[in-house]
Amino acid sequence: MAEVKSAEFKKASGRALRDEKLQHALDHVMEHFVGARANIIESDFGDESWEAMRTRAAAIKQSTLEHLDYYLDMVDRSVRRNGGHVYFADDAAQANAIVLDIAKRNGVKTVIKSKSMVSEEMGINHILEREGIEPVETDLGEYIIQLAGETPFHIIAPAMHKTRQEVSALFQQWLKTAPTQDIKRLCVYARDALREKFAQADMGISGANFVVAETGTVCLVTNEGNGRMTTSAPRIHVVLAGMEKVVPAIEDLALFLRLLPRSATGQRITSYNTFVGGPRAPSDEDGPEEFHLVFVDNGRLNLLRDEVMREALRCIRCGACLNHCPVYQKIGGHAYGWVYSGPIGAIVTPSMTNMKVARDLPYASTLCGTCKDVCPVKIDIPRLLLHLRHKVAEGDASERSTTWMERLFVGQWHSAMRNRRALEGKANLGRLLTRPFTRGGNVRKLPFAPMVSGWTASRDFPAPAPRSFARLWREELADGNTPANGTER
Amino acid sequence: MSPTPEEHPNKAAFLLRVRSALGRSEPIVHMPDHPSLKSNAARQQEKVRTVVARNQARRSRTLDRLARTAAAASWNVRRASDAEEAASIVAEIAHDAGVKSLVRSAEDIFKRVDIDGSLRSVGVSPAILASGRSRGRGMLRDMAFRADMGVTGVSYAIAETASCAVIPRRGVARLASLAPPRLVLLIEPEQVLESLDDFFAITRLNRMQARGRTANYFNFISGPSRTADIEQTLTIGVHGPGEVHMVILG
Repeated sequence: MAEVKSAEFKKASGRALRDEKLQHALDHVMEHFVGARANIIESDFGDESWEAMRTRAAAIKQSTLEHLDYYLDMVDRSVRRNGGHVYFADDAAQANAIVLDIAKRNGVKTVIKSKSMVSEEMGINHILEREGIEPVETDLGEYIIQLAGETPFHIIAPAMHKTRQEVSALFQQWLKTAPTQDIKRLCVYARDALREKFAQADMGISGANFVVAETGTVCLVTNEGNGRMTTSAPRIHVVLAGMEKVVPAIEDLALFLRLLPRSATGQRITSYNTFVGGPRAPSDEDGPEEFHLVFVDNGRLNLLRDEVMREALRCIRCGACLNHCPVYQKIGGHAYGWVYSGPIGAIVTPSMTNMKVARDLPYASTLCGTCKDVCPVKIDIPRLLLHLRHKVAEGDASERSTTWMERLFVGQWHSAMRNRRALEGKANLGRLLTRPFTRGGNVRKLPFAPMVSGWTASRDFPAPAPRSFARLWREELADGNTPANGTER
Repeated sequence: MSPTPEEHPNKAAFLLRVRSALGRSEPIVHMPDHPSLKSNAARQQEKVRTVVARNQARRSRTLDRLARTAAAASWNVRRASDAEEAASIVAEIAHDAGVKSLVRSAEDIFKRVDIDGSLRSVGVSPAILASGRSRGRGMLRDMAFRADMGVTGVSYAIAETASCAVIPRRGVARLASLAPPRLVLLIEPEQVLESLDDFFAITRLNRMQARGRTANYFNFISGPSRTADIEQTLTIGVHGPGEVHMVILG
């Protein structure tokens, strides 16, 4: 499985904030996505019908999840009826083993890949390379970050943090092309290099945007045409799908194909939609002779099991919550430390990987609620973030990651808030202790690492008033006393 | 037809874990309540009959809408009043682009629209992209990759999204509409549908009636191949055709 680096969230987001080039790219991109989405929804539907569509989509996905065992069985039967193979992998290691086995059995040397976030979870490229099989990403953005040896920066725009100069340098190094500033030219270089791979490859690996239970149809949503190439040119096609990708009926696709591209890139529809449910027919002119669909759990059961978190599995990976998130807009995707970033990453990463390692992610949000408003399947992301924060603070031993000092402090707080006398006593103590660190009405910097200084490390804390309200009341306001010219501080 | 592939050995255990995560101990016997799964072949047929009648009644308006949405999605739209005009439009496109090698599918529409004749008159001789003629996968692929232009028909065209549904089959190679840098699709009026809903309703019925002998594979082509993966700058024609033409008969 891909390494989880979420424990370094704070350090990594600090680095991102200081990276000027990155900040520029983020500003530019976010403006583009946010505007395009708003325009197309306004012009095609208006708020009211859009809202109705979201409600319906949320209900369909939720109901599918509540009956997931039934629908997975239905997909399995449908695909096998179509002549395809279906696999069920508990984790990344099992999924990798299944793909590797198919590749080895067929003497595969080159694998072409169309975008798949599950394959990022699995870290399959390393596994294939170790066995002497060459994996080639064919989505232009994925190809660029593969050459750079990085992970996707954004769910749908993986290389948005790279400038044309950087791409040109990568192509110079790997493809031996001439340097250029012309983006069109760079695309031609990539096209030519990848055409060669399309012709060589024995196996294509793709993800799945939707998997239709009743027909066993995998739907791919792409713009470049690499998804079509991957499902047309090689002899074998392998689909990697998270087990939550199922929708019940083929007619449901009309709704989801309206929601996804508009939410993602602000397009009415993407240039291509590929629908594949099995191998080519013998009478077909071309297309893969073998079709394999691998369903992957890899931590999704943890989300399914938790009734509050379950709705996170409704996600159709459009990226709208990333584009609209004030935190993502400043720190970008890499700081989140695993495959999924932004608000959706903050809720799925702790459950799918390790609650303690990813403990900072639920706090990477202002809880402004925009993510919930733009989500095409109405995931209540702020609520799920609070649920996770609760686990971090008060969950069982496997989830909780508070220090004894924090717990002591919160315990004291708790008892103080229930007793006026205790509150006054502790407030007076606080007033006394913070006085030496106060400048101009704010507590600037507290000592003692890390629990106490953490409060003021990146922000000022308003200093307590010299006299508490209770004291003020006793001394001046009670018994009909009125202050002469309002209350002084 | 080859035998149905085996069930994966981990399937039962996997589904059991899913079930217990959902707090159930028994499998679901009755189909969950889901409207778009419920209707049987007879009711689906009824539904499709209404869809077809509606599309017939509004045909000319839908054709106009298709032309509008297609233009907005960067299609080059040409409308031909008859087959002869359509054939000469295809020749004109090929000629203007300086096309040297052109591949087309083998479909019924070319019996009505004689592009072979019109193309020859501008000095282009079209080749049919089919495995019977190109001897195997490698040859067919090379031929498709080398071509400057591909011409095929469509199964449906959806006005809502300017999507052309292309269903590969005998005579219609997947690569014909994918590999060449220019693509021309010929559309007949009765193939045009108003919405995605119409298309999927028909697809569902076709499947029910064919008892699983329908195509395992089809595509929507809804515009030129595009990417914005470098600096969010829209660039046309990465892996698929960058120049796409819709020739509507009617």
